[in-house]
Amino acid sequence: MSGILVILQQRSDNKIARINWEALTATQRLGGDVTAVILGADVQTAAAEIAAKAPSKVIAVEHPLLNPYTADGFVAALHQLIESENPTHIVFPHTYQVRDYAPALAARFKQVLISDVTAIAEGPVFTRSIMQGRLSANYRHAGSGPCFLSVQAGAFPVDLPAPAAAATVTPFAPTIDAAQIRTKPGEPYRATTQAVDLSSAQLIVGVGRGIKSQENLPIVEELAAALGAELAASRPICDNGWLPMERQVGSSGQTVAPKLYIAAGISGAIQHLVGMKGSQCIVAINKDPDAPIFEVADYGIVGDLMEVVPAITAAVKAAKQ
Amino acid sequence: MKIIVAIKQVPDRDSQVRVDASGKWIVDTDLQYAMNESDAHALEEALQLKEKTAEAGGEVIVVTAGAESAGTVIREALAKGADRAIHILADDLPSRDSFGVASLLAAAVKDEKPDLILAGLQSEDLGNGQTGVILAELLGLPHATLILNVEKTDIGLRVKRELEEGWFQNIELPTPALLTIQSGGNKLRYATLMGIKRAKTKEVRQVAAASLGADVPAVAVLEQITLPKKQKSTQMLSGSPKEAAAALVEKLRLEVHVL
Amino acid sequence: MTVFLPTFAEPQRFSLVEKLLFAAMAVASAIIFGRRFGAVLSKILKSKKEPAFHLFPIGPRIRDFFLEVLCQTKVIRQRPLPGLAHAFVFWAFLAFALVTLNHCASVFGLGFLDPAGFIGRFYFYIAAVFAVACAVGIFGLFVRRFLVRPKWFGQHLSWESGFIALLIFVLMATYLASFGISGTGTSIRLLWWIHTLALLTFLPIVPYTKHLHLLLSPVTVFLSRGGFSQIPPLAGDEDFGLVAGTDLTQIVSLQAYSCVECGRCTEHCPAANTGKLLNPKEIILGLRDYLNDLGPQSDQPLLGKYNSQEAAFQCTTCGACEFQCPVGIEHVPILVGLRRGAVNTGEWQNDHGAKLFLNLERGSNALGISPTERDKFIEKQQLPLFDGTQEYCLWLGCMGGYDPKGREIVADFARVMNHLGTSYGVLRKEKCTGDPVRRLGNDLLFQQLAEENLKAIAQNKVKKIVTICPHCVRTIQEDWKEYGTPPEIEHHSEFLARFADKLRVPQVPRTWGPGIEDTPLTQSPTPEPGNDKVVFHDPCYLGRYRNVYEEPRTVAALAGNLVEPERNHERSFCCGAGGGLAFLGEETGERVSNVRAAELVATGAQTIATACPFCNSMFRDSLAPQGDAAPQLLDIAQIAARNLPPANSGANNH
Repeated sequence: MSGILVILQQRSDNKIARINWEALTATQRLGGDVTAVILGADVQTAAAEIAAKAPSKVIAVEHPLLNPYTADGFVAALHQLIESENPTHIVFPHTYQVRDYAPALAARFKQVLISDVTAIAEGPVFTRSIMQGRLSANYRHAGSGPCFLSVQAGAFPVDLPAPAAAATVTPFAPTIDAAQIRTKPGEPYRATTQAVDLSSAQLIVGVGRGIKSQENLPIVEELAAALGAELAASRPICDNGWLPMERQVGSSGQTVAPKLYIAAGISGAIQHLVGMKGSQCIVAINKDPDAPIFEVADYGIVGDLMEVVPAITAAVKAAKQ
Repeated sequence: MKIIVAIKQVPDRDSQVRVDASGKWIVDTDLQYAMNESDAHALEEALQLKEKTAEAGGEVIVVTAGAESAGTVIREALAKGADRAIHILADDLPSRDSFGVASLLAAAVKDEKPDLILAGLQSEDLGNGQTGVILAELLGLPHATLILNVEKTDIGLRVKRELEEGWFQNIELPTPALLTIQSGGNKLRYATLMGIKRAKTKEVRQVAAASLGADVPAVAVLEQITLPKKQKSTQMLSGSPKEAAAALVEKLRLEVHVL
Repeated sequence: MTVFLPTFAEPQRFSLVEKLLFAAMAVASAIIFGRRFGAVLSKILKSKKEPAFHLFPIGPRIRDFFLEVLCQTKVIRQRPLPGLAHAFVFWAFLAFALVTLNHCASVFGLGFLDPAGFIGRFYFYIAAVFAVACAVGIFGLFVRRFLVRPKWFGQHLSWESGFIALLIFVLMATYLASFGISGTGTSIRLLWWIHTLALLTFLPIVPYTKHLHLLLSPVTVFLSRGGFSQIPPLAGDEDFGLVAGTDLTQIVSLQAYSCVECGRCTEHCPAANTGKLLNPKEIILGLRDYLNDLGPQSDQPLLGKYNSQEAAFQCTTCGACEFQCPVGIEHVPILVGLRRGAVNTGEWQNDHGAKLFLNLERGSNALGISPTERDKFIEKQQLPLFDGTQEYCLWLGCMGGYDPKGREIVADFARVMNHLGTSYGVLRKEKCTGDPVRRLGNDLLFQQLAEENLKAIAQNKVKKIVTICPHCVRTIQEDWKEYGTPPEIEHHSEFLARFADKLRVPQVPRTWGPGIEDTPLTQSPTPEPGNDKVVFHDPCYLGRYRNVYEEPRTVAALAGNLVEPERNHERSFCCGAGGGLAFLGEETGERVSNVRAAELVATGAQTIATACPFCNSMFRDSLAPQGDAAPQLLDIAQIAARNLPPANSGANNH
């Protein structure tokens, strides 16, 4: 066994997302010849982009049955590739798609995926979070088979040495029979936005009594728009009719668990807290340094939201450019 | 429909977890345990399917691998409406990897010939999210992951899968199949007194892990557990509004990954 | 000098025809009465036996019977004028017992009261006084029902009530008219027969109408469960609460048939007063209709056609209904029983309810918050841990441990206890007492919580508990009894009242309250709060449930001159949080808390004093729209702490 395969994923627009470059960077810690792999029905554009940035070989695995993505298709194709290339490690970016097929692929080799790795140390020793982020665990790969691992988004920087020349793109044509593809995926769609469904929102800006009056609402609305976030409110705001009841977060409103919850002018009374304490990241902006919201926040800014919120909006817009 | 649901008992998410003396696992005295949350949603989905397709012979069977104490999640599942249970007794669960656990499950259920197997998406303790998919591979079943809803069709199933960034996808697949269920797709039911009383008469078949002949040495070996470098504490960002805003945006980009 | 008083007259002789006619009518009347009354009695007796019913101690039962039935205390006290009118009618009935017996016996020449004799004369005059009172009373009640029409009687006019009132009036009028008439003429005979007709019409009507209470309510009052809102235990493995007719117990059936439809329960119900479906009177009448139609052996659900599940889950268990009921109906155990039937079987599907149950299935508190938050609070406040040696265990409860406002109350109470040198500690771990799930009818969860808590308390060697929450007090003292022996427990108002004198004199300049910004810093300490008024809101679980009214007032009065809202003491109007409703999300109709808050604000008091963290939380939201113009909202612990030597008194009133 020799060499490392890094399985990259192309987006629906055939571009390569950042997490893939992070995976390639992380692979450098393992030492060995790295080959980037891209799968799909048509991967020419993606392969070219990778070849321009990647440190060495690129294998383009193409087959009409690889689009749309199915676990059966990808497992079949990669199974053949791995047997052909016989690598020591196979590295993936930890995406929903990878979670769907990589464990089955690894199982074909009687392996598991060491998943969502946040650090790779000498050994190699792989670090990942357990107990919902409360503890870290170090893993080693045992046995003689190939080692499968996936890399967490944002855990590694993007730091690839510029290749001297564009890498070679080698095609690989797997043999896949239509009968092997057992699932029929439909077209992706977005949830219908008839009712305000905060419970599935990933980004939320919540506004509380600190906003003082209805006329000041545009300040938080602009922040929400800049972030692409949904607007939510604590009960008094909805009671006053400044925002509709569907936007209420709390014990008598909705329970939300977004990736980011910005609480602007919210004190953190229990009735509101129980509705948003599951948020992955809470940012609190409040004039009162003793406000209970700061006890649950990951980041806190003590200040007048009338000044702080517009400043954040401006900074967000600048960052997005 | 005969549905098997794989469930796991995990430390309650609010428990204080401390590294034990060996550094290889957590101190398990004084811990509260509960059914893994996505497994609870899987169980709920199975129960709803059984209720919807109320045909004769519809059955929901739960299977778990774990120590004797894992019996509580079995009782909870039976109380909520599962018909019977298989308890694979294994005291050394943390030292097995997902392939090892999936092998045990496969050996225990292979004679059941279910129409559908549901598993939770990932566990709250180790969070590998693979046991279900590996089980599907071992049993040769088609599978889909991150499933929110399951519907029975004339030719199989139609399921709703969650994709990244607020997108969804419907997938059609034949039965028998395996699905891993994401939390939040359905509303969990509470345990009732009636359920608990009825559960007393339901069958729980215990089988020792060793007797299944499916012991596989772990390939991913957990060597050490440590406290993560970053502890949860509130980072106060100071300075003028402009400075604080800039600092926040930096954090949102680098640490929270939302920009 | 004797005054000439008219003599009561009655026909001297009755012909055979009259005797036979009377006999026939009496027998017919008795049969109609007997068949219906027998049917009702049979339904009551065929109902399930009441679990854990103890006739002894019999003293309190006799006492309650004497006061509530014979003296009509509750009837009069809670609705004075109509109550007195009713009392007259009732006493007249008692007084007329012998008269009526004599009336019927005299047909056959067996009359035993001689209108000419001394005893007879005396008795007839006494009866006449009652008759006048009764006639006036029944006339007044008639006017009230049909002309004044209080809304608690409902929309529908009860013609049967009108008819009965008429019969009673006729009975009294014919009796009174029989004074001063010759005993030999036709007019006396006519009066006699009208009286008889009225009597024999009245008798069979009784068991077909709410006037059944004449016969049943004295028994109902006598056979009450004992204790206020006492929730009976479940009887065995197949008992899940009041699911169907077969679950109705004899006591419940008796109570359902005793309802007089007076509407006092509904009049005081917070749900009925704020536009919700729940109407306590209709709940009881719904059960009665079920029994009439289907009987106690039917397995049709009680919540369905006859009563709605939605209504049953709008009850805050405030107990105002049960407290008001003059015939001894115990509404709260019935409502909790209906809820048990829905929850223990999984019939109740409610997102918020399920979330509450799932939170407590997995976790330690009703709010679903990690117990480490409570640990952090204990550490931050430097609360001593209970180690078995201290006198008191300070029980935080879910609100005291996790709610920001509840924590402020605990912190201030702790300051007071520190100042008083009380020896106390808090338990390292607490689980919710189970109050919300108990009132919602989830016996599985309640048993788990009660048993775990009792075990922890025994292990920690807790002897005495003091706590800031009346719900915890009630649940620990009464409801936990079903699963073990709870320790002694008191509410912090009872504790603080004992030390009120030590807390009375302020030792620092007044640093709180409206207008303080204008007070120059150099002003010398003001010893009294001056003309400030303080209004105390009686929590349901402290007042009606525990009969504690004066102790919290003693403490509240430290903040100013005590004023009372319109509905106070045992008539206090609920804040809306009880019965698990604080966890069930938004209510329909008007918010109960807003109604009560407006009532408290209307007293003009500068401070609203509460003694329950739930009341405090509800009013906080109600007062929020008024911003700084609202009165201060303070728990009595915070009021008590005000007068202590400086340290942070936690004056934040957001």
